Amino acid sequence: MIEVKNMVKKFGFKKVLDDVSFTAEKGQITCLIGVNGVGKTTIMNAIMNLTPINGGDILIDGQKLNKHTYEKVTFIPDAITMLPQMKIGEAMEFMSDFYDSWNEARANDMIDFFRLNKNDRINTLSKGNTAKANLLMGLALDVDYVLMDEPFSGIDMFSREQIANVFTSHLIEDRGVIITTHEIQDIEHLIDKAVLLDNGTVYRSFDVEELRENEGKSIVDVMREVYQG
Amino acid sequence: MKRYVKLVNFEFNRIAKVYAVLLGIILTSQIIGVMITANGYLKKADKAMNEDMMSKAEFLQMYGQMDFHNIAYSIWFIGPIALSVAAVAFYIFLIWYRDWFGKNTFAYRLLTLPTARLNVFFAKLTTIVLMTFGFIAFQFIIYPIESTVMKWMVPKDFRIDLTFHELTQQMLDLGLLYPTEPMLFLLHYGIGIIAVTILFTVILFERSFRWKGIIFGVIYSAVAGIVIFLPLILQEFLLNGYFYPSELIRLSMLAGVIVLAGSIALSGYLLNKKIRI
Repeated sequence: MIEVKNMVKKFGFKKVLDDVSFTAEKGQITCLIGVNGVGKTTIMNAIMNLTPINGGDILIDGQKLNKHTYEKVTFIPDAITMLPQMKIGEAMEFMSDFYDSWNEARANDMIDFFRLNKNDRINTLSKGNTAKANLLMGLALDVDYVLMDEPFSGIDMFSREQIANVFTSHLIEDRGVIITTHEIQDIEHLIDKAVLLDNGTVYRSFDVEELRENEGKSIVDVMREVYQG
Repeated sequence: MKRYVKLVNFEFNRIAKVYAVLLGIILTSQIIGVMITANGYLKKADKAMNEDMMSKAEFLQMYGQMDFHNIAYSIWFIGPIALSVAAVAFYIFLIWYRDWFGKNTFAYRLLTLPTARLNVFFAKLTTIVLMTFGFIAFQFIIYPIESTVMKWMVPKDFRIDLTFHELTQQMLDLGLLYPTEPMLFLLHYGIGIIAVTILFTVILFERSFRWKGIIFGVIYSAVAGIVIFLPLILQEFLLNGYFYPSELIRLSMLAGVIVLAGSIALSGYLLNKKIRI
């Protein structure tokens, strides 16, 4: 379980995140929802210790983040985190060089699944294929948790479909996923848990299935209440 | 340790192409320098003896024999060395900033590798040191080639052959890069490495606190500078030469080690606790 407890983050004197708490369980897809600039990416960065926080705790399976945690949780930011001049195959080699949790067989599965070519250089890929290669670098790690920042933004329709298919495939299965998006439509049916952020705080966090059963509402209904009400 | 070695290999490969080009420029430019300088000297000799009707002895007395210093002071020779020094100095900064700027923020990857973040620091430091010693060694290796070219061009009576050691001994700037005493070598490059770690720390301050970080960085470098020179400052201004020279050297080395350790510890702290993507 990833636990974010009472997280506070300031930029200068401005509090961008105030007392943010939520959990993300293994085997579930947790979605951070909010308009742009609400601090979703900052939360992701903080979980990965890529930006300092001014208060609160972040625990992964009960432990604070350390160097070994990176074999357990991975982050897929919205731009690919490999050198642009590398070929996809070289990027895979880099990953297998540095991560014990790299799963070569799965990486090759994903190459087929996404119809990528190992000999293509990253800087020659289309936007959609870059996003897929980026996903590959993260998802081919045998990690328990995957953090994805806006995996659908700025990508063509067919690539979006392909990426959405990943979530229902064995590539995700038992893992815990935290995903941020402002385009909820593509994955609404996949989400187990939604965390709605507004003005730097958690406005509401709920189990999607329970909400549907108890209140008869979808995520989009709740979003309307929050952002338009 | 395994990942540190891999990181060094990775970092060095990232600059390898540019580095190879620089080595190529050094070799080409210096050989051209040898040919142009030797040619100029020979023309002068030719004019003096054939047009002004000087004897060989008179010419040699007036202009002297040619030795490698004539070449070494030309822009063709010293220029590419200056270029290499500038390239290393520039790369000290670029080696960090290239991971933050541009569309693909590679810092994400480097900072989420399952290894101590200080290994990234050490790998970058090692790359800078390798580049520097690579240049030093390369110059040392190509000197005999250049000196042979000069031998081919200039007849024996008109030239003095110098070993590399003789050449650098008499040149202050090259002498800095090629100290002859082992102790001096340690001193020059020790100071160099300490300076690079201080700069790295400044860069990490900037990457952690942005504008404010530059101020912290400047303050830190000032403090580090004072600590390093503290024994010398005390000796000169307060203690009126209280220390023996050997004591002074040992104290300065101690101060250097303190600053080195301080910079590494501080960089580790910044990388682990304060760094921002």
